[in-house]
Amino acid sequence: MGVALILAIQTAPAWMLACRALPWIASSGSFLETSFSKVLPSSLLTGLLVAVASLGIGLPAGVLFALEALPMRRWLLALTTVPLLVPSFLWALGWSEFAAMLGPRVTNALTGLLGVTLIFGPSVAPLVVLVAYRAASTLSGSQLDAARLAGGETTALLYTLRHAALPSLIAALLGAALTVSDPGPGQVFGFRSAASEILTSFSARNDFELAARQSLALAIVVFLVTAPVVFLAAPRLAVEILAQQTRTLQRVREPIYAGLGVGLFSVLILTGIAVPICGIGGPLLRGGSFMRAFEVASRTGIDTLCYASGAGAIAVALGFGLAFFVGRERKLRIVSVAAAIAVFSLPATLGALGIVELGTQAPAWADTLLRSRGTVCASLGIRYSSVAVLLGLHAWGTMPQSWSLAASIHAVPPAKFLARVVFPHLVPSITAAFFCVALLATADVTTVLLLHPPGQSSYPLSVFTVMANAPESLVASLCVLYIAAAAAMIAAAVLIFQASEYLRTKHAHGQESV
Amino acid sequence: MNFETRGVSKTFGQRSALSDITVTLQQGVPLAILGRSGSGKTTLLRILAGFEPPSAGEVLLDGAFVSIPERVLVPPHKRNVSMVFQDLALWPNLSVFGNVLLGLAGSNLPSKEKRERARQALEMCSIAHLANRHPGRISGGEGQRVALARAVAIRPAFLFLDEPFSGLDAETKAQIVGEIRTLSKSQGLTAVLVTHDPLDAVSLCQQALVLEGGRKVDAGPLATLLRAPESRFLEAFRERLQATFESTGGLR
Repeated sequence: MGVALILAIQTAPAWMLACRALPWIASSGSFLETSFSKVLPSSLLTGLLVAVASLGIGLPAGVLFALEALPMRRWLLALTTVPLLVPSFLWALGWSEFAAMLGPRVTNALTGLLGVTLIFGPSVAPLVVLVAYRAASTLSGSQLDAARLAGGETTALLYTLRHAALPSLIAALLGAALTVSDPGPGQVFGFRSAASEILTSFSARNDFELAARQSLALAIVVFLVTAPVVFLAAPRLAVEILAQQTRTLQRVREPIYAGLGVGLFSVLILTGIAVPICGIGGPLLRGGSFMRAFEVASRTGIDTLCYASGAGAIAVALGFGLAFFVGRERKLRIVSVAAAIAVFSLPATLGALGIVELGTQAPAWADTLLRSRGTVCASLGIRYSSVAVLLGLHAWGTMPQSWSLAASIHAVPPAKFLARVVFPHLVPSITAAFFCVALLATADVTTVLLLHPPGQSSYPLSVFTVMANAPESLVASLCVLYIAAAAAMIAAAVLIFQASEYLRTKHAHGQESV
Repeated sequence: MNFETRGVSKTFGQRSALSDITVTLQQGVPLAILGRSGSGKTTLLRILAGFEPPSAGEVLLDGAFVSIPERVLVPPHKRNVSMVFQDLALWPNLSVFGNVLLGLAGSNLPSKEKRERARQALEMCSIAHLANRHPGRISGGEGQRVALARAVAIRPAFLFLDEPFSGLDAETKAQIVGEIRTLSKSQGLTAVLVTHDPLDAVSLCQQALVLEGGRKVDAGPLATLLRAPESRFLEAFRERLQATFESTGGLR
């Protein structure tokens, strides 16, 4: 019951829009209008290219990161993940400026499909890197030693690539699905995509019905592409989500593979952040407008924080609630994993327009609920709740069953057991889920654009809306401010992790000496 | 073919795992490495296999240096050894057949012959019928046999067994010990068994090396060591054995 209720909440906005759009489709007689059916294939082609590129680089990079002792490994990974946390249009602006510095031929070359793929590739690759790393890390040291014993480091690498291929493919497909529903880089590079058509239909043409139909069509196409892989892989992912190492794998120093790993990460860092930052830096050299950028930041900061933290809290409540109801039940876990992936791959516009539709139909007194900051938080929280679901399932699933048995034998009150045993076990996963969702929600422009109450725009949305008309120096200052904030957060996370690891090692040494 | 360690020591950070171990492993003479948990048995085996370099001392294979302090000169897959790991180390995404084939990944045999060898290994270990199953869908004893099949498929000179019988019932354990003995004879491989249970050692090996706190405390023929134990570990074991016999009337 609980599982069904939470799954219903997660998919409610999408169902709502689907139910409204179907009669319109039936009455108009056509599913898609001509212009949208023309751009849909090119959007799908972009998605396919992004999936191939991100898988081609992300899978070996993630596996090498797990197996090889790369120099400055944490910082390499941290820098690579920056594009995940920054809206893609900011990177597109950077690349566009960089191309402009090199001349019209480069600008022309980047216009259209190539430019969009160049932006989305490094943005999706970190997701693949993280998934490939996680998949490789579920292997034990002995499993890798068995492969090393059979054929050396190359065999260990090839078998690990094979082991991590399926989850990485899913990550690449999901990333590609997200790019298909992201209008940002298309707007910058003059590339007409399905996502930008939907935004145009809703915002410029004020045609809600058309936007709803287009969103539904895009969702169906994306679902048809990703569903077979997701449903085939869900059982394995449901098992792997519980995986824990019996013996930590030992990283080796193989100069060739370490060099290859550093090379792949360098490509991602170069294309993902270095070049666009250089591009953004160009206008700044001619004079920045940081005071105005700070003004925008202070005006939108509270709303941005509110959307991020609200989304994080709602996603954690949904994700960990679902995990609580699923427990260790295998079939429910498979269903939850499949549903989480499906929800994650749905276009942002589907849920957001569903809530808009609900707001239109609801009585006036419901405006405080459906046209407020809370609505934006709810929509973002539901959209990214899949992240919390996966982390929650992992945290619940890896909690030994014997803990609750021991508690019941010794008659420990449930409240005390939850507070003293369960909650401390879940805290790291809850914290990770909250921050991941908060950062992803901050970078989401589409949902905020469609749902934010007047005058309560988020910082990235402010940049998105002014980027076409504002002076270059202001746009560049706004971009730099955002990227600096994202990088600072990642750096803080790395430093906190390093400090906690240092303290853990120190504590372990202290115990040994005792 | 023989392995030799000369004054091998190993430290992990501040902790010393092995200290000044000198031992010779001769082909055809199965050896048991005995000791309590944390006595350095597995570390010694990993140094012999080439997974870890020693912190001090050398490892020689047929008189040639294969490991020197902090360096592995000859990698594990070029030492003509194979290993059954304590946790079996079966790859979850590969079928039983795929796991056995993994053992042959580094050999220069043509693909067809590799597949044939893998099939033979499965038959030798009586698990040919499990070829298409995945490790998650077989029992502990069957998993043990898969790990054994993978280890012998390559026909190594030395078969390293790292506590392979932990968690097995007595009957399955006896069956697998029997299979290892048969394989040792038919393929001419030499077992090197790491265990904390001397009973396992008695059934497979004639020679033993006893470690305590990372130091060698006893070495020699197992029967002799058990008759006049010099280490507390073997003494305790002999007392346990006697108590078992007395309680069951075995001594009468």
